[in-house]
Amino acid sequence: MTAMTESTRAAALARTTVPTAAPRHAPMGRLLAAEARWVLRRPRTLVMLGVFALVPVLIAIGVAVADDTPGPGSGLIGAIAGNGFVLPIVSMTMALGLLLPLAVAMAAADAIAGETAHGTLRGLLVAPVGRLRLVGMKAFGVLLVATLATTAIAVMGLLAGFAVIGGADGQLITLSGTTLGLGEALARVALVVVWTVGQLAAVGAVALAISAYTEHPLVVLASVLGGLIVFGVLSAIPALDWLQPYLLTSGWTAGVDALRDPTPYGGMIESSLRALCYLGLGAGVTVHRMLRRDA
Amino acid sequence: MVKRTGNAGRNVAAGLAVACVVGLGLLAVPSGAGAAPELPPISAEDLLASVAKAKPEAFNGTVGLENALGLPALPNLPQAGNGDSTARIWSDGAGRGRVQLPSPQGERTLVSDGTTFWAWDSSTRTVTKHSESGHPGAKPDVNATDPTGAATEAINRLRSTSQIRVDGTAEVAGRPAYELVLAPAAQERTLLREVRIAIDSEKRVPLRLTVLSNGSNDPALQLGFTDLSFGPQDEKLFTFTPPPGTKVEEGEKHDQGQRPQRPEGVEPTIVGDGWDTVLVAKRPEGAPADKDQPDKNQPDKDRPGGVDLNALGTPVSGAWGSGRLITTAVASVIVTDDGRIAMGAVPEQVLTEALAK
Repeated sequence: MTAMTESTRAAALARTTVPTAAPRHAPMGRLLAAEARWVLRRPRTLVMLGVFALVPVLIAIGVAVADDTPGPGSGLIGAIAGNGFVLPIVSMTMALGLLLPLAVAMAAADAIAGETAHGTLRGLLVAPVGRLRLVGMKAFGVLLVATLATTAIAVMGLLAGFAVIGGADGQLITLSGTTLGLGEALARVALVVVWTVGQLAAVGAVALAISAYTEHPLVVLASVLGGLIVFGVLSAIPALDWLQPYLLTSGWTAGVDALRDPTPYGGMIESSLRALCYLGLGAGVTVHRMLRRDA
Repeated sequence: MVKRTGNAGRNVAAGLAVACVVGLGLLAVPSGAGAAPELPPISAEDLLASVAKAKPEAFNGTVGLENALGLPALPNLPQAGNGDSTARIWSDGAGRGRVQLPSPQGERTLVSDGTTFWAWDSSTRTVTKHSESGHPGAKPDVNATDPTGAATEAINRLRSTSQIRVDGTAEVAGRPAYELVLAPAAQERTLLREVRIAIDSEKRVPLRLTVLSNGSNDPALQLGFTDLSFGPQDEKLFTFTPPPGTKVEEGEKHDQGQRPQRPEGVEPTIVGDGWDTVLVAKRPEGAPADKDQPDKNQPDKDRPGGVDLNALGTPVSGAWGSGRLITTAVASVIVTDDGRIAMGAVPEQVLTEALAK
């Protein structure tokens, strides 16, 4: 079935241009739509999105079943009790630790290494699509998965927070002890969604670079997860404090800043700039590799 | 032709990757490492006088605390333990203020709105309310994280027995500042090497307090603004409304639960003055002296809220008796077996001399 889909896709790509015309003129919109369909038709992507949507629901049930009174040491989970708007933000922050990078790594592994393993990348490489556009198309697919996964958690977090936990009179109680109305609370959730997708884009770019150099999708997964674990270990060693500003993961607690009022944007800006550096590094390496890659 | 554009593209891509690695390095460079700004010279006396004259202004800022004092972390004040912490401060320059102490898992907010002092703790989601006149424990909380108050207090205290000089300039929170240095006079026997206070060249308010101890180049304590801007602040910041569904406790009751009353007649005596001041006090009531105990190493766990002093420090003895010596980067404490406590920013010898008196 994969072969069938693949051949129709290659045909669809080929159909976009007259074979004798300059090979760089396939409309980008159609390429991206084709990639989106290609990514979303994979059952594993859909299953993954479904599982991610369950994360906030499980947290909500856990909090609702547990004692309702927050106490010292209950941490961020304790802040959710009776305060539903906190749920999407805490869920995203927790998922960013490992789950969301896993989803992005999976998408990136499938995007290039997976296609190489199946022999389907060849069809794309000989198709009349510029290599740069090909990389852009693949990056779009990864970014799409990152956005969908994050949005799934945020939306289900909002719904579960509203239905299971209930808000404090429809308001958000910030960690700073202030109360925010509905609109402001939704803006905070949206801010964390955007910031999280930015961090995931960095992970995705690096994963895509690895994916361009291997034909084994598992190598990509192992590298990304292994890298995250190594980053975690490095940041836990006090003697290596000076490494902290180089590690992508060291700014990943900044999402919680959205629950403070007035919001300190410093942490989110700094981690976003760092993510931008990783993004550029990954994109540069990926393009460098794919421009010269043999069909 | 195709190959050449491919090569050019590859070069651009490689350049992008390298540029981003460089960018990552630039991001990692601490931003405060600017060159010392050039300022007109000023004498220490003039600088101090202008600090005393400076009017409080409305500001907001972020204060960073780098603590290497070597104290244990206290449950209610993790900032006391070794490590870095930050506080966000807003002041309207007329007595009202707000301090937020963020931690990874939550936040404590202290608001003084002119008539009421509010303390919010997100981990317990409780609000503690003190009326502005009678809350002994609340105000110092604000002062402790406000370098203005902390530095001014230090200046007043150390003026008599110290060499005070202006030692160059520094840039703190992006603002040019004079470095005021207080060093102990030659005859002072202390663990401290010097106390440096960076004073804003324009507003004449202390921006950073650095405590350096003997034998270490790294500050034992550094409390300073990492970000500061002057100007009128949002009025909403100086009010506090307890969020719906939270407990509101009255301050007095809370205070008694937190701080045991000092027993009558245990006023500490002060030996010496200046940098080598030693405080000698009786051990708190209810703490039995060790000689009454059959086993000296038995921790007195029955004492509620007490610290097990026997587990800390090293045993010392002399003509004054015997006890245990606890040292940190900037202070020493001797707890004697007959129930006295001597402490000061001094070496052990000065403590034992004070105990022998």
